[in-house]
Amino acid sequence: MTNQPPVLADGLGKNYRRGWALRDCSTEIPGNRVVALVGPNGAGKSTLMGLITGLTRPSTGTISVFGDTPHGKGMHPAVAFLAQQKPLYAQFTVAETLQLGKHANPTWDQSYAEDLVSRAQVPMSAKVGTLSGGQRTRVALALALGKRPGLLLLDEPLADLDPIARQAVLGTLVEESRREGITVVLSSHVLAELEGVCDHLLLLVGGRVRLSGDVDHLLNGHVVLAGPPGHPEPVPRAAVIDAQRGVNGQHLLVPANAIGTTPGWRRFRPTLGHLALGYMRGASSEVAA
Amino acid sequence: MTWVVWRQQRAQLITLLAVLVVGAAGVLLLRSSMSSYLDTHGLASCIASGVQPGSTCGLAAQEFQAVWFDRMKIGQLLVLALPALIGLFCGAPLFARELEQGTHVLAFTQSVSRTRWMATKFAVVAAPALVVLVVLQLLVTGWLNAAGKLGPLVSGPFVYSNFGTSGLAPVSYALFTFGLGMLVGALSGRTLAAMAVTLAVFVVVRFVLTGVQQFLLPTQRVVSDDPSQPSVTDQAALVVRSGYLDARGTPVPDGAEDRIGQCGSRGNTEAATDLATCYREQGLAKSFSDIIPSSEVGTLHLVEASIFGGLAVVFVLATGWALRRQT
Repeated sequence: MTNQPPVLADGLGKNYRRGWALRDCSTEIPGNRVVALVGPNGAGKSTLMGLITGLTRPSTGTISVFGDTPHGKGMHPAVAFLAQQKPLYAQFTVAETLQLGKHANPTWDQSYAEDLVSRAQVPMSAKVGTLSGGQRTRVALALALGKRPGLLLLDEPLADLDPIARQAVLGTLVEESRREGITVVLSSHVLAELEGVCDHLLLLVGGRVRLSGDVDHLLNGHVVLAGPPGHPEPVPRAAVIDAQRGVNGQHLLVPANAIGTTPGWRRFRPTLGHLALGYMRGASSEVAA
Repeated sequence: MTWVVWRQQRAQLITLLAVLVVGAAGVLLLRSSMSSYLDTHGLASCIASGVQPGSTCGLAAQEFQAVWFDRMKIGQLLVLALPALIGLFCGAPLFARELEQGTHVLAFTQSVSRTRWMATKFAVVAAPALVVLVVLQLLVTGWLNAAGKLGPLVSGPFVYSNFGTSGLAPVSYALFTFGLGMLVGALSGRTLAAMAVTLAVFVVVRFVLTGVQQFLLPTQRVVSDDPSQPSVTDQAALVVRSGYLDARGTPVPDGAEDRIGQCGSRGNTEAATDLATCYREQGLAKSFSDIIPSSEVGTLHLVEASIFGGLAVVFVLATGWALRRQT
């Protein structure tokens, strides 16, 4: 593979009649990462995925995928995409669905795809239309991974799965991405599951990039301060990204470099959930203010 | 990709095959049954001549037509309707159903180009549909030929039902409806809307082109030196205009034909005995007709088919454009 990054966006924007779905998006998704694409509903997650696949055309800015500009003629051979609806032909059997992948992808790995399906214990002879949500996702995932992509985009892959299926799908994803060196981009608004799975975060709020970068780096750069209720804030108000106050105490999310001494406050390393939720809430309270 | 499309359209292709088998068997059975009727009723000699005054075929031929004429018309109706049905049920849903169900995303995100996907879908469905159409057209034409002038062919090759079921016409109509259905489906993403629009547009275009059929080819003028006799000897020709010429050879304006009333019997006066002389005295020197001779029917088919075929090419290219659009 080239040394071009999987995704490089510069000033990328998409304007629909109803308004901007994505604006001024400049970011890079580095290789060999599991990327969490996080944001509330309508943040522009699906739009960004559409722009990467070439299904959608940017209104402003540029995007390159492994150095190439996505277009409408067909998708980049190194990219696989699993749309939110997990589109599959309902009248095909599972085996026929894999055969579709074989016929439509020169880089297809049949034994790998079959292995993924059998590990998910989905019967090969079953019609796709008769599968459960979880089985359907596993088949769609096998179809996406079977083409041996360098970049796998998954739009809300966990949305309609029960907790056990979520664990199983996520486990497969992480395992395959680590073993095969695939960059996986997962969009989700369920943060708890992505904890410990993702090593890169891209947080979108209201069509703009709020936070992007290496997860460890981002977590090290932020601190959660816990203090008793009513205690004065130890940092300037402008530095507080998010504040949660209750009868049992208050929690402040602040950048690590903004704090000096904080008597009476305890410091915690934020979780990915804390961080993302804090930024999302902070952004929405800014809008409200 | 051919396998994928074949698997996807399998039910439709099997239906097409069933239409072919049932249609062909029906037409062949009817044809053999009709042939034996003609033989047993001694009508074989009438096939070429048809029902003519004074011929021996008269009554038996009429009895034959009472039974068989409508059946042959139904055969023609099948060939007339098939192109519309192919456009509606094969062309319109081809991409509309994928867009409706969101499965186009599946196709768009494989490593195959969208153009190839479209071309494969088009070829795998359109080619068998056209084969079914052509085979049934040839079988029905053969059946009608077996009845000769005792059947619908007696009205000549330019009559709507004969023209639309022969030559290049059915194939060009089918390509038109198929392309149109595909395009409207790809643009709207709605199967039912695509089917409705395809049917409506096809009916209108067919109606218009049938109306202007006589203007598609230059006409030939045939003249009879005896103004009281019809000028057309080619009974199957398409007569675009007919009337009278004056002594200088220019057509007499419409309405002037009323003068021939002077040559008929009026009240107590006897009708003129020498009609030709009487006509000439009224200033009607010759009769004429502007016709498209029946020998030109092939050329007319070619002209009409190139209009439908040309539009079909535009529709196919536009479908390719529509599918390569980015939202």
